[in-house]
Formats: sequence, C-alpha cells, structure tokens
Amino acid sequence: MAEAEDYVGGDAEWDEPEEEADAEEILEGEEATDAVEGDSAEAQQGPRENTGPRTTTRYLTKYEKARVLGTRALQISMNAPIMVELSGETDPLKIAEKELREKKIPFTIRRYLPDKSYEDWSIADLEIQER
Amino acid sequence: MAQPNQEESVALVLTKQIYEPPEVPKRIRQITFDVMPPGEMVQVSEMHVSQPKLYKMPDRKPNPDGPLDLRMGVSNKQALCTTCGHKLQNCTGHFGHVKLQLPVFHIGYHRNTIQILQCICKSCSRVLAPDDEQQAILRRLRRPRTERFQRVALFKKLLDRCKKVKICPHCGEVNGTVKKATGVLKIIHERYTKNVDELNAYKEEFRDAAGYNDQIAPLLNKIGDNLNPLQTLSLFKAIRNEDCELLDLHGRPENLLMTQIPVPPVCIRPSVEMDTGAGSNEDDITMKLVQIIDANNVIRKALEDGLPVPNLMENWDFLQNQCAMFINSDMPGVRRDPNEISKPLRGFVQRLKGKQGRFRGNLSGKRVDFSGRTVISPDPNLSVEEVCIPRLVAMNLTYSERVTEHNIDALRTCVLNGMTTWPGANFVIFPSGKGRWFLKFGDRRSAASELRVGDVVERHLKDGDIVLFNRQPSLHRMSIMAHEVRVQPWRTFRFNESVCSPYNADFDGDEMNLHVPQTEEARAEAIHLMGVTNNLCTPKNGEILIAATQDFLTSAFILTSKDKTYTRAQFSQICTYMGDAKDHIDLPTPAFLKPLELWTGKQLFSILLRPNAQTRIFVNLETKEKNYCGKTQHMCPRDGWVCFHNSELVSGRLGKATLGGGNKAGLFQVLNADYSPKAAAQCMNRLAKLSARFIGERGFSIGIDDVTPAPVLAADKIKMINKGYATAEDFIHQFEQGTLELQPGCNMEQSLEALVTGVLNDIRQKAGNLCMETLHWHNSPLIMSQCGSKGSPINIAQMVACVGQQSVGGKRAPNGFKDRSLPHFPRGDKTPAGKGFVGNSFYSGLTPLEFFFHTMGGREGLVDTAVKTAETGYMSRRLMKSLEDFHLHYDSTVRNAANGIVQLKYGDDGLDPVMMEGKDGEPIDLARALSVVTACTAPGVGAEGLVPHPRRLEELMEEQLQAAGFGRESTFASEAFCASLRKFLLGQAATLQQKRMRMGLPEKQAGDGLVELAAGKTSGLTPHRLKAFLALCRRRYELKEAEPGATVGAVGSQSIGEPGTQMTLKTFHFAGVASMNVTLGVPRLKEIINAAKNISTPIMTVKLAGDGSQGAGRLVKARLERTQLGQVCKHIKAMLLPGHAHIVVRLDMRRISKLSLDVTAMTVKLAIMEHPKLKIKDANAVRVMNHDLLEVDPPVARENRKQLLYALAALLQELPKVTVQGLATVQRAVVKADSDTPGRWELGVEGTNLRAVMAMLGVDGERSATNNVAEIEKFLGIEAARKVIIQEIVRVMSAYGIQIDHRHTMLLADCMTFKGEVLGITRFGIAKMKDSVLMLASFEKTTDHLFDAALHGRTDEITGVSESIIMGAPMPTGTGIFKILQDTELQAPTARQAPFLGP
Repeated sequence: MAEAEDYVGGDAEWDEPEEEADAEEILEGEEATDAVEGDSAEAQQGPRENTGPRTTTRYLTKYEKARVLGTRALQISMNAPIMVELSGETDPLKIAEKELREKKIPFTIRRYLPDKSYEDWSIADLEIQER
Repeated sequence: MAQPNQEESVALVLTKQIYEPPEVPKRIRQITFDVMPPGEMVQVSEMHVSQPKLYKMPDRKPNPDGPLDLRMGVSNKQALCTTCGHKLQNCTGHFGHVKLQLPVFHIGYHRNTIQILQCICKSCSRVLAPDDEQQAILRRLRRPRTERFQRVALFKKLLDRCKKVKICPHCGEVNGTVKKATGVLKIIHERYTKNVDELNAYKEEFRDAAGYNDQIAPLLNKIGDNLNPLQTLSLFKAIRNEDCELLDLHGRPENLLMTQIPVPPVCIRPSVEMDTGAGSNEDDITMKLVQIIDANNVIRKALEDGLPVPNLMENWDFLQNQCAMFINSDMPGVRRDPNEISKPLRGFVQRLKGKQGRFRGNLSGKRVDFSGRTVISPDPNLSVEEVCIPRLVAMNLTYSERVTEHNIDALRTCVLNGMTTWPGANFVIFPSGKGRWFLKFGDRRSAASELRVGDVVERHLKDGDIVLFNRQPSLHRMSIMAHEVRVQPWRTFRFNESVCSPYNADFDGDEMNLHVPQTEEARAEAIHLMGVTNNLCTPKNGEILIAATQDFLTSAFILTSKDKTYTRAQFSQICTYMGDAKDHIDLPTPAFLKPLELWTGKQLFSILLRPNAQTRIFVNLETKEKNYCGKTQHMCPRDGWVCFHNSELVSGRLGKATLGGGNKAGLFQVLNADYSPKAAAQCMNRLAKLSARFIGERGFSIGIDDVTPAPVLAADKIKMINKGYATAEDFIHQFEQGTLELQPGCNMEQSLEALVTGVLNDIRQKAGNLCMETLHWHNSPLIMSQCGSKGSPINIAQMVACVGQQSVGGKRAPNGFKDRSLPHFPRGDKTPAGKGFVGNSFYSGLTPLEFFFHTMGGREGLVDTAVKTAETGYMSRRLMKSLEDFHLHYDSTVRNAANGIVQLKYGDDGLDPVMMEGKDGEPIDLARALSVVTACTAPGVGAEGLVPHPRRLEELMEEQLQAAGFGRESTFASEAFCASLRKFLLGQAATLQQKRMRMGLPEKQAGDGLVELAAGKTSGLTPHRLKAFLALCRRRYELKEAEPGATVGAVGSQSIGEPGTQMTLKTFHFAGVASMNVTLGVPRLKEIINAAKNISTPIMTVKLAGDGSQGAGRLVKARLERTQLGQVCKHIKAMLLPGHAHIVVRLDMRRISKLSLDVTAMTVKLAIMEHPKLKIKDANAVRVMNHDLLEVDPPVARENRKQLLYALAALLQELPKVTVQGLATVQRAVVKADSDTPGRWELGVEGTNLRAVMAMLGVDGERSATNNVAEIEKFLGIEAARKVIIQEIVRVMSAYGIQIDHRHTMLLADCMTFKGEVLGITRFGIAKMKDSVLMLASFEKTTDHLFDAALHGRTDEITGVSESIIMGAPMPTGTGIFKILQDTELQAPTARQAPFLGP
C-alpha cells in the first residue's frame, strides 16, 4: 500500500529536487551555488532512474494497457511461452488479456518524466482499472 | 581488428577489416539542415553532366555525359544502372553535377544574399555596425537560451543598424543602400545617389565618353553599382568567420551562390518513352537541366574564345534565370520566357509545396495497402461494435497471421481453401528465404501439409478481426473507430444505426473506408483505444454520442406508451426480439392479473436492462422527457417523467432525452458511468434489435392524411394570419405617418423591420403550437416530433399550416428590384406578402411568388454551407497544427514537443473531459450519485438514531469530507470540486432541517423519537450512506483523471474545430439592445483564433462607479461618445470681408445642454487647436467671441489670396469633424441595465481604447472590459488576455447552443498565450510557437522554412507529432510515452508446471 500514500497528486513533484539535495547534504556550502549548473548538466545527460519515492499514478493507464497487451500478443503470436492456463482461447490478444487479468505478463513499464528521469513499474505493482 | 583470433584462422585477404555496421534497425534521432558547399556536391557526384542532348539518336541510348546518363540511375524497367549495376527497383539513383562557368544567385537565398550584402562593407567585407554594438548582439546570440525568433529579431536589429552606416568603420569606404533591382535577379548598390562628391568624381571619368556619345549623359545621374554574382561571391569569400556568427549564418556565405548544380538521379525525373516510339516525355527538371547545360556551354565557349561582352552578359542572365526556374518556377520577379504559354513548370519548390506536394501529399499522408471503400447501409441486427464486410472485400483484404500451435488447424483450412473460397488465404510465407507461395495456382494441399509453426499465412479477413472504419471528413477522433468484423454476403459495409452520429453518416449513398491493422500490436492498440465501446462519449463535453436514433426512438416511444399492454404470447414474442436467443430471460410478474394476464410495454424495458436475476445491473435514473408537463413528476399526464428504480421502468414514455445521444442524463450515459461501456453497448444492442423488429412488425409510415389540417385548424390558421397581417399593416401605417415608436438605437425603418419580423415569426410559432395541440395523437409526424426522433413543431407547422417568413441574411427578403423585392408588388411595399411571407403550407401548396421567396431562403443556406465548410476546414487544420503535440506527462503537466510547459495541471484539475458527468463539465453528478447510494445501500442505524440532528450531521459531513480526502486544502481533488461537494452536502442537511421544521420538530435539539425517525427516513442521508456516498465519489473521481500520454491538444483542437462546422447561418444580436450587433459564428471564432488586432465589432462593457443610476450612465455616455463639432453647432460659415476672411462657428447651446455635454466655446477652441489635420498652432488664430461663437482664421498668410480660398474650403470641410468631446475611438455608447446586478445600469460601448475609458470619471475601471483580446493584452496583461480568449470562445459557442468542456478552451487560450504574448493560430503565430522545421514545413510556406533552416543550420529533434509522422517513427505521446522492458527473471512459464511442485 506504499504507493497509495505516495500518490498525492502533482504536489509531490515539487518536493523531489529538495529531497535529492537533502541526500547530498555532506557536500553543502559551495555546492549550493553551483546547483543550477549541476542540474542543467544532469538534464543534458541521458535518462537516469528516479531515486526516492515513485510519484506517478499507481494505475495502469489505458495507453500502457493497450501497448502491454499489444506487445504481449505479438510475443504470443510468435510462439512465446504462455504464462496462464488456457481454456480454449486461440487469439493472441485474448490470451494476453487473460494474462494481464492475472498479472502474469513479465513486463516492466519504464515511465519517463519530462526531466528525463524515469520510474520503473512492474505490471504486478500496477492497479488495473475495472471498467 | 576487433577479433584478431578469427582473423588468423581465415586466409589473409585484407590488411584492414572493412567496417560493416550491424544489421539492426536504426532510429533517426535528429535532422540537421545545412547549405551544401559546392565542393561536397562534386564529391557526392558520380559524373559531370556536360552534354545537353538527352539521347544518342540512331539507337536511342541515353547520351553519355547527358542528363539521362546511365551512371545517374535508370528510369525504365530494362536498363541497368552503370554505377551500382542494379535495376530500377533497387537502384536509388546517383547524383551528377554541372559546373557553372559563372556563378549565379540561388533564388531561395536571394533575400538572404541581399541582407548579408546590406550588412557588410562593399569593399572590405566587414560587418558595418560599430564594434561595441556587434559585441552586444554577439553576446546575446551566443546565449544558449536565446530562442529562434529572438535570434531572428537580433539579426533584424543588426541589419537595421548596418543600413544606417554610410562609411565603413574599418576601411573608411563609402557604402550606399543595397537593394534588389525591380523585376530581375539583380542587386544594385546605390553608392552614389546620396554622395554628390563621389558621384561627380565618378561622372568625371565619363566626360570623354559623354562627349562622343550623347546617350550617356542622361543616364549618368542614375548610376549605381551592379553587384553581380561574381562580385558578390568574392565579397562573401572575404567575410571573416567571426562575422559569420554575427550574421547568424551556420556555414560560409559563399555557399549561398550557385557555382555547381547537383543533378538529381534519373529516377526522380523519369523519362517516359512514347508508345509510338517517336520521342519521349521528359520531366520538367530534365528539360530545365538541358537548358542550363546549353547556356553554360555557350558561356564556356564565350569565355574561351572571348565573345563580345553584351552577348556574354545576355547569356549569363539567361543562365541565372534558368537556374532560378530550376529551383522555383514561379518566383515573382523572375521573368517567364514570353514564348512559353504552356503550363507552368514544376521546379523543386513546386514539388515540395502545397496540398499535393511532397510534404503534405506524400510524407504526412500516404496511400495505403490493406484498405477498402464502398457504400454503407444500416443493419440493426449487428452489434454496435461490429461492422459487416462483404465477402468479396474480405477475400481481398488479408491479415498476416503467424502459425502457432493454437491456430495451425484453422490456418491449414484457410490454405486449403485458397484464394477463391472464404475463409481462405492468398499467400503463405515460409521463413528463412523460402519465399512466398501464391495460393491461386499450384498444389494447395502440399502447401497446407508443409505448414509449420512459425510460417506466416496471409489469410482472408474473418469474423472477429479488428478493422478501422472511417468516414470523411474526419473532424474528430470518433470519425475513425475500430470495429469487429462480421463477414456477410452482398456488397455494402453495414453497421448499427446507433453508430451513425460519430461518423455523421447517413445511408443516402455515403461511402466509407476500411483499414486492416497488420500486426498484433496495432490490433491491440486499435481495439483498446479506438474501439467503439471505448468511444461512446465525445471528449468535446462528455455527452454520449453513440446512442439510439430515429426509428429506435420512435419504436421505444410507442412501446412504452401507457395504453400498450401485451398478452403472455405477445410479450414473450417481443422479449425474444431483444437478443439472439443467447440470454436467459426471467419473465416478470404481469402488471395486470385479472381478468387477463397482461404486461405493459414499460416492463419490456425492465427486461432490456436486466434480462435475468444474474445480471447485476441496477439503474437508478430520473429524467425529464421533452413532453414533460413541468410538474407532478411521476404522475405527469403526458407521462414525460422517466423514472428507473433499480432497473425497473416506473414511469415515463422513453424518447430522445432518455435513449438518444447528445445529453448527459440519458439511460446509456448512466449505464456507461455507473457500470461499464460494455453494459451500455449491450443494452444498445438489445434496444436496436427490439426496436427494429418491433417497428417492422407494427409498421410506421406517413401519408397525406397526416399533414391534412383539420377544418378547425385551417380556420384558426387563417384567423391567425389575418390578425398578424393586420398588426403588421398597423405598424406600416404608423411608419408611414411617422408615429412609430423607435426601438432603442434604431431608426424608423429598422424599428419597423424589427416589429414586423417579430409579429410574422410569431405566426409560425403559434401555428406550430396549434398543430401540436390539435393533431391526432396517432399522427406520425406528431409522434416523431414528440419523441425527438425527427422533426420539430416548426417542421410540422410548415407541412400542415404555414411555411412562414422567408429570410435572407437574417432580414426579410431584400429588394432585388428598385424599392421592391419583385416586380409584382408596388414600389416601397413593406407588406408581409411583398417581403417574403409564405402563408400557405406545403400541403396547400405555395403560389409562384411564395415559391420564389422560398428559393431565395434556400439558396442562402446552400451558399452558406459551401462557404463555411472551406473556412472551418482551414481553421481546424490550423488548430490541429498548433495543438497537435500538446500532451500530458507523467508529472501531470501539459507540455509541447520541445518540453515547454503549457499547463501545470491539465484544465486546472487534471480530469478527462470525456468522463465528466455534470451538465457544466462537473466531474460527478452529485444528486444522481446520492440517489444511487440511497437505492443500493442499507440505511444502517447508528448510535444516534437513523439520521442525527442536522447540526451534528453537518459536523459529521465535515469529518467525513476530511477523511475521504475532499477536505480543505485537499491534495486529492481540485478546490472547485471540493467546494461543490461541500455545498451539496450542506444543502442536503438544510433540506433535512426544513423538513424537520415542517414536521414541528425543534430547531436546535432532537425532538420526539418517532417523528425524528420519520423525518430522517424522508431525507435518506444516514451517516452510513454518507460514508458510502463519499467513498463512491472518491472512487469515481480517481477514475476520471486524465491519463499520462493523453494527447489533450489534438482532442482539444478537434473539440473546437468540429463544432465550427455546425455554426452556419443565423446572425445574432445583443440581447435587449437590438442596435448593438456583435459578430458571432465562424467569422468571430476566426478573429479570436487569429488573434486579430482589428476586430470587426469591438465592444466594451463599461461598469459605472458610484450609485450606477441611469442618469450617471447618461453622463458617462456623454463623456465617452465621440461628439464632433458638426453635431453640436448651429452653423459653420465662411466670412469673406474685404482684406480679411475667417470662419465663424456658432454652437447650439440648447442641444449641448440637452445632451449634458461639457462643451463651451473655450473647450471647442482647445479641441480645434489639438486637431491634427488642421495644423493651427497660433492661439490667436482661433478666437472666442462669445460663449457660443468662435472665429477661426485659415492658417495661411493673408496676402496669398489663391491659397486662402483653398484653405477656407479645407477648413470648412474639416472643422465639423473636430472631436469636441469624448474619445475619438468610441463610435457609440448605449446605456442599458446591468447584467450582473439588477437595479444598476451599465454601458455598452462600441469602439476601442479601453485605457482611456477606464480612466474616465464615473467609470468603474476595474470591472470594465472589452471583447478585444489585443487591447486587453496591451492594457491588462497576458493573463487577462487568456481569460478573455476563453470567455469569447465560450460566448461564440453558447450562441449556437454548443457546449464545450472548458478544459479545451483553456488549453487553446494557454496555447495562444504561453509564450508571453498573444500568438494567433496563423502561420506567423505557429512559427513562433514551434521549433520543428519539418512541422513548420508541413504546414505552410514549406520551402521558406527549409531554406531558412539550412541557412541557420537548424536541427530538428524528431519529438513532435508531424515530424514523427514524416520520419515514419512512433510519436512520443500516448502509447509511445513510456518503454516496456521484458522481465528476464520471470521467463519460466509457471502455468505449465503442476501446481503442487511449486515455483
């Protein structure tokens, strides 16, 4: 349930840089003046994993759902081993949907934030909206 | 080098290993544009093209060294490319080049060439601006955060500065202005025009020559330097690299001139041989090349042999022109060859430009395989998510399915069936290079038996496949949706009529398109994101779009009428209509038991919603139908109050409000919101089948008797028309007498028109009402109009009673002849009949004159739609181009492709407009949510009885709100929603208190237990239910959040563009004050979106300070309104006295005091002296003679008699126009009742200059506003401008009754303002908003952007939508915003193992 508490809407975003500064408290002093430069340099580098609590939605978005199912269906259609017990389904998409219902799809979703950091969410961690 | 060990084992062939890039897919990360240096052109070229002849004649082979040389590739199917040895299919072609003997200007960079020349010294090539200013500009250019359009502005600044420098600070040489010679590609340096010494010195050189040739002398004064390409080239070559940076150039400037021409490969300019064998058809580019090479050869010869100079220059000019045409064939200023009358040539610019050009025609949109198109027809037996495909189509469209263990049997059958039998297959593809096997010929049985897992079969389309279905114009995202395939015989695409409205389709011959996604990924994304069930509601405002229409509504209306009862047999029969015998149906208890078991039609709908007890769907819904009487709710005599209680239809005849689309309180909307889109779709399917089958049995038709008026009706109608005519006559009589009372702000004629039009429109309205009352209840048009399936009361009135007034341009029929509409009427006729009133009905038939008027009205409608479609189409395109890349990120910000923030939270609350339940875009319909909770949750008796005392209840509510996350300063929900939720709950507590008071319970404490219990029961909001209610709200709210990746920009632009097409006809006026017209509809929307500086009707709403009385309003009006001298004086006369002449102005003091103006002779004097056109400076020239008399002297010397006369005349003409009071920019002001606070008055002011108005005495400046966005931005800032943009768009839309979610308008306003200034959605605004070259090139001014990008060395990071489409890359929105990683440690399939063995 840790995610539920973390998910507090947009506000959490703004706390994030401060937390990073806290983590590097040892360096203090002069570092603080260079902080801006350090940030921009970091932004120019490639993607990096977001340390600290995850802030993005705990739900599987419809785009993620569609893409996960599509990718998985493609794998299944190319004879990938199936992770669930089948009951007569032959359509790869239907099989993928069943796998997703049982959260058996072995994927991790890498969500990119606009500052080029990312969060990794495993399918098992995500809640699927029942509609 | 990398593998030395392996190297040793094989025979040593090469000393160096050739690097071969690995065969992996590549992604283009960015594109950098640059001007190609001539040297590079030669390097990439295969050959020098030097021969103008195309073919060598006897054997018709391409001429060696000619433009069609085989080394540059081939254009026919037989020949082989001599460079790469491939055929046409595989040879990409190779460049050649032509070395120009003399350089020429590049037409694409001609403007830039001139600008650079203007910046540099024409002798030392240094930048002319002073050094310190150069440094300042350079510093700003070098800043990494300087944006593109800022760089452009900096260069402009430098250019302007350099133009002012006359003497080069570095070498001291004189520099004149540089400009383009008119008409030709030549640049003139006017070195001598403003430099007399130099000119004379230069002239001196020609003295001898002029002596012998008298034609030289007159030309000498016009002398100037012609900066020919050769000179320019040497100047450019001398420019220092440091200066290039200052000039914002990426490469060297000399590259801007053409010294080499790259010759494109033959395959892009194919040479087509004629069938007859005589000659060939050549591409324009080839022909141009021939001419260029020809001219070039002549020049070479001339240079070698030393031909006369004029001859050489002529050829050089010719070469210059040809080279310009090669690139851009219709550049203004480039002379076309007068001998050429044929069609204009296609240069490279023409190939790229325009709708059919490369960018829009081939890169942004392409022709595709796997698609079909045919006529559509309806089929209610199909489910809404299905589309029926003719077998013929299904056998041509294929899906490549890979063979797996699961499908091998089915695919084997397909292969056996082959091409001609459905379900078959057209091809089998065996992997590892065994190739494709065409199943039309050969042994299909062996193909089938050879089929192995891993092979690919191109099988026919079969039931359950997923296809995209589309109808043009694709105005919103529901114009293309994913359907499931049903293959059937015959030849049309068929679908459920409920899905007509999203496509805007009908079946009068419409055709639709079909596309088959070819991969599993594409199918999954298509059905999950574009599937019909996932698009029931429109994101425009959250209303349901896919719902019952036309006959379905009629049928449901008839079925649910109170007099319909069915016996067991009938009822069971109708129940079976609903499904395809797949559902179990629980027959309910009959409504009547004695004397006969009878069921009502309403019970049918209970079954439709919930066929059996296993279906857990409980709909609770109360809504008003169109024919609701307005009170008595369930007991409405017309049965217009629809009430579903736990899926049982309690009351109401179902019509459009319940079952139809375009509203928010309907049955399907509730199913969609409370249950699932799937449940809604299922019910829709049942309704479609039930309605279609029932009405097919019952029959529903319309005949002549349906439109025959009853004798009473006919008599009443005649009476009504006569009365209306009499009233109109009366008005006309008053008009002629001049006694007609004027409408505010109108003259006599306008007043008459307004009154008469009102009376005549009233006739038809009343006739309509009369029809609705008197027609038999069984009348078909009446039924259709009542249930909302088709037709309005006006339509019925037109058929039965009276067609009514015909209007053109919102007025009665205009005068096409002198003073009359048609020559059949007397001049100046203003009678109803003479101005296009049609008293007959379509039943009784129109007289020829009436018919003529009717066609006039009809024509206007046709013209209007034709004009508006083009206009709105272009508007939609612009909107889409500007908003396309705005999408939601994982941090809930809305950003553009360049990562610039547009909104911090989408629409301020981050909710998805498609999910909004409330009428005004409120997230949750609280009243309905509460009714659902009360219907489905037990009351739950607590310690404080059923319902605690209202005071306690309020406390409890506050606690619960806090607990559920809706408290004050909530981080969960938006402030607005929390406030509305609190207000709603407190309202509930207040109603309870009222009820208690009525029951005589004490206000402050709990009363008698039993009475208290009774009061609590009526309220229903127990603490238990309160908790459940808030939990429901929380759950729903969370689901409504817009998802990261959502392309909110594209959806927003569609939501604003699509309603634009509906805004046709009708002109609107300001409510109440008929005089103040305000532009509305498409023209106004265009103004707002273009951010037009001068709008056609600028109107200010001016609030009054102080008591806001009408008198105060009049005073302010007098101060604001422009009053000219001519309006307030008795006369302006010229006095001609001996030796003296002046003008006398006498003021009309009575009128001035009547208008409560502050005008005296003194103020008039000041006004005259300030008037800019009069130019009277001398204070004695205007003399105040009296309190109402002035004398004005003409501003000329007295002696100059001739001038004096003219001056007097000019004064006489100009003096009446002097503004003596008010603002010159304010045309008119009207005092009217304040719209916000009753009892106060406000001013509507036509005109501009808000700042002056705000500062005016008596005006409440803080509350006054204008509809002119540009003014608001200027005076009140960007945030205010944003607000006014939103407000104005909403005003335009609401005038047509169109509701758009405010999130869309907000996003559009943010898009127009997020750069800090108001940018229009035009080519100029969009160019400032976007950074991508490709996106701008695909919008407008294609080649300008490309040349500009090359000149400045721009880089396009392929991040936007247009760029990604052009590059064929997935775009980083929606499903592309994240990445998917495979978990490798979880690879082992767990399901196959026996459960007890463990992992």
